[in-house]
Amino acid sequence: MFSWFPTFLQANMLWALPLIALPILIHLINQHRHRTMHWGAMMFLLQAKRMTKGMAKLKHFLILLMRTLAIAGLIFAIARPLASGWLALTAGGAADTTVIILDRSASMESQDLQTGESKRSTAVRKVADVLKSVGRNTKVVLIENTKNKAIEVEEVGSLLELPETGPSATTSDLPTMMQTALDYINANETGRTDVWVCSDLRENDWDAEGGRWEGLRSGFSEKDAVRFYLLTYPAVATGNVSVAVSNVYRRQLGNDAELVMDLKLRRESENSEPVNVPVQFVINGARSEKTFTMTDKEYERLGLTIKIDAQTLEGHGRVELSNDTNPLDNVYHFVFAEPPVHKTVIVSDDEESANLLKLAAGVPAIATLDYNAEVLSSQRADEVAWNETALVLWHAPLPDGLVAKQLENFVQSGRTVIFFPPPVADDKTLFGASWGAWEESDGETPISITAWNTQADLFSNTQSGEALPVGDLKTFKYCSLDGEVSRLAQLDGGKPLLARAPTNSGSAYFFSTLPKLEYSNLSTNHVLFYIMVQRALASGAGALGTARQMDAGTVGMEDLSRWKAADESIDVMISQRAFQPGAWQSPENRLLALNRPIKEDTAGVMSEGKLKEIFGTLDYTQISDEVSDSSSLVNEIWRAFLIIMILALVIEALLCLPERRVVSEAEAA
Amino acid sequence: MQRDFLDPKVLSRLAGLPLDARIPMLGSVSGRHRSPIRGSSLEFAEYRKYVPGDDTRRLDWRAWGRSDRFYIKEFEADTNLRMALIVDTSGSMGFGPGGAKDPEVSKLDYAKSLAGTLAYLASKQGDAVGLYCADEKFTKEIPAKRSAAHLKFVMDELSAAEAGGETGLANALHEAAEKVSQRALVVVISDLFIQPEELKSCFQHLRFRKHDVAVFHLLEQSEIDFNFDRPIRFVDLEGGNSLLADPSLVSKQYRKAVELYMEELSGVIRDTGIDYQRVSIEENYGEVLARFLLGRAK
Repeated sequence: MFSWFPTFLQANMLWALPLIALPILIHLINQHRHRTMHWGAMMFLLQAKRMTKGMAKLKHFLILLMRTLAIAGLIFAIARPLASGWLALTAGGAADTTVIILDRSASMESQDLQTGESKRSTAVRKVADVLKSVGRNTKVVLIENTKNKAIEVEEVGSLLELPETGPSATTSDLPTMMQTALDYINANETGRTDVWVCSDLRENDWDAEGGRWEGLRSGFSEKDAVRFYLLTYPAVATGNVSVAVSNVYRRQLGNDAELVMDLKLRRESENSEPVNVPVQFVINGARSEKTFTMTDKEYERLGLTIKIDAQTLEGHGRVELSNDTNPLDNVYHFVFAEPPVHKTVIVSDDEESANLLKLAAGVPAIATLDYNAEVLSSQRADEVAWNETALVLWHAPLPDGLVAKQLENFVQSGRTVIFFPPPVADDKTLFGASWGAWEESDGETPISITAWNTQADLFSNTQSGEALPVGDLKTFKYCSLDGEVSRLAQLDGGKPLLARAPTNSGSAYFFSTLPKLEYSNLSTNHVLFYIMVQRALASGAGALGTARQMDAGTVGMEDLSRWKAADESIDVMISQRAFQPGAWQSPENRLLALNRPIKEDTAGVMSEGKLKEIFGTLDYTQISDEVSDSSSLVNEIWRAFLIIMILALVIEALLCLPERRVVSEAEAA
Repeated sequence: MQRDFLDPKVLSRLAGLPLDARIPMLGSVSGRHRSPIRGSSLEFAEYRKYVPGDDTRRLDWRAWGRSDRFYIKEFEADTNLRMALIVDTSGSMGFGPGGAKDPEVSKLDYAKSLAGTLAYLASKQGDAVGLYCADEKFTKEIPAKRSAAHLKFVMDELSAAEAGGETGLANALHEAAEKVSQRALVVVISDLFIQPEELKSCFQHLRFRKHDVAVFHLLEQSEIDFNFDRPIRFVDLEGGNSLLADPSLVSKQYRKAVELYMEELSGVIRDTGIDYQRVSIEENYGEVLARFLLGRAK
């Protein structure tokens, strides 16, 4: 896999390499073109021939070697070699297509404070340099995590100026990006393809345990002409502190008002020396500062209060830290307003299932908010108060007609619906999906979950990076699902357990089993069931209230195109608004705060062993780089070859120097 | 017969220098060299006690008057010298500057000049001259005589000598040691391309036979320096065998071999006490002979 041999910019010059045999040829010709001399002192000559062994022959061999080396050095120097042995491009020059998979996640913004370059910008610059040097004729395709689309780049030099290579406050999903690359390679028959993966190897981005890598390995292993270059930045900047707030809401205390929030600080440090961290709070433009003492890696202050004007019913703000290695995790935006009631409507004709769903939706996740769950039969589905509802749990045959239209509008407005399979399937389709036949497990053996998306949606890992106990979920009966849906969790055998229909905004999920005991152990796996419902409810409630807090990259770009920045300090291109941190205000005076996903702060770095496991037998080369390393991945090293040539010539000259004769006494006499 | 190996200028220049033997000689006639037996020259040798039978005319009466004892007064005997010129005519003596097959001046030509001049000088001072030319064996053997006609004969034979054949100098010297019956000045002119141990044996043999041995060791400068640059096929002048050698590879070892040989030869010279002259044939042979003659002068 590793090739020490350099790449050459003028590889054609290597055809001159046979010239290195010139000294040997000249030597042979010289030997052949000898003159003849009659000689008397043959006894000395014969004696000299007998003595001419070892060192003298070695010296002669070395002279020839040095001459050969000098010519080789000259040819290599003219061929303009590059110090990039791992590029292994000598087999036939640059690739036909180069796919750059760029991890633009928030953690990639970790900077070198002296140069101001981040891991992301360093990676892009270095890859661009490589392509400028060795890949002039290669087709460059960029896949970055925010859009996850293959973008063909016309000019390599413009890579750094593209908005798609700029910073973002998102998280990455490397398996999905790899799948996009594979799809592109398959669709375009790209020939010899180099895939550059630029990442800081964060566990949450790579999802090594997610089960999607096996399919990717299998897909890429069929492509002989695909090579991977992993340009990685695994180093974690010691001393970096990140800040985040959650559960921000306004509280009225008599004539006064205050903002309540949970503050979380995290620092990258191995020691537990107490550190005072000043945090600035900017609320509707007013700035205040508080200092917190961190004695551990993490500091959490629940229910932190900040006094605000009693007349302020809604607004925006941010918490800020002083500058350190990652500027993106030094700011966290928030918006606040009167919180909406977290109302859930369960449409079901099955009392047992309805009660279980009502229980999961009705128990408050945040004690200060109002939760409400209502059960309606399928006949009364038209009675749903669509404007007040955050989540609909639909356990009935898929609706059609007016109710179906109302449900689509409901989701379109940003709220959430989860469809559970009806007792008897029909051929109705909604959101591009329809229920199929019920399937059962063989005998006593339940069907387990083989893979699920830990990065996003209902089964994603917790903010601290821990996985939900999805693997403990056992299914005895499930309903097959047809249609173009994204699988978020799949059963053993490949059938979807949880899927998401494609929507412009809002969320429409399909869950293919029921919480009842004869269907699954979902009701006994309380944590998973509760979290799934509460996440769906929180998502829907976010769209219901006037103030909403979301992770960057999870909101549609179209939604934000008409919005204006609530915080005037924010200046972001419209196409990048959805991926940048900031506070936004819609024309209807709804507020939205976008921030990096918290798991970007907490995710650990994936080990080398895990990386090897992920790529398996695929042809890959890892280049562990550092932000502070300003050297290019490819350097022209013709000077080194010239020096080799000069050295060879000097050594040859020294070896050829006639030895100083020591006149013996007898000779002198 | 041409005598182009003799230079009249050199002859006239060296005419004033005597050719002396380093040891007493046994000559047939009176000459300028000491004899091991007492004679009637004017040079006092020693006193010895009278023994009956001595010629009473040689009694030193003055010594009797002073000491009342009889002493015989003895005088040195002067005799002539027999010089045996042994010239190596093996193939290697045909080598000259540049390694040409027929060089302008070969070692043999040089040897002829040396031998001819010495023969002339010896003959001029009344000494007998003999000539022995040797390659694998003696090709010419001319015992020493002291007539002018003999000198002419020696010169003719010398002039006719040609280089060829392998070196058989060692055997020739042993043979010469036996053939030259009386003490003589044996002058060896050769490039001495034989092992020093063999030479030692030869010289010891000659010395044992009470000969005064002088050696002119002829070498061409390139045979010592070996200053060649390109590969050369060296053809042996004494056998026709050839050897392809790259001087850049073997020159150092060649010089080392020459050096070793010279060291060993020095030891042989020291041990046998011969009169050794190492001669580069680029030198003027008159200078060489002048040095030689002056070194031997009494």
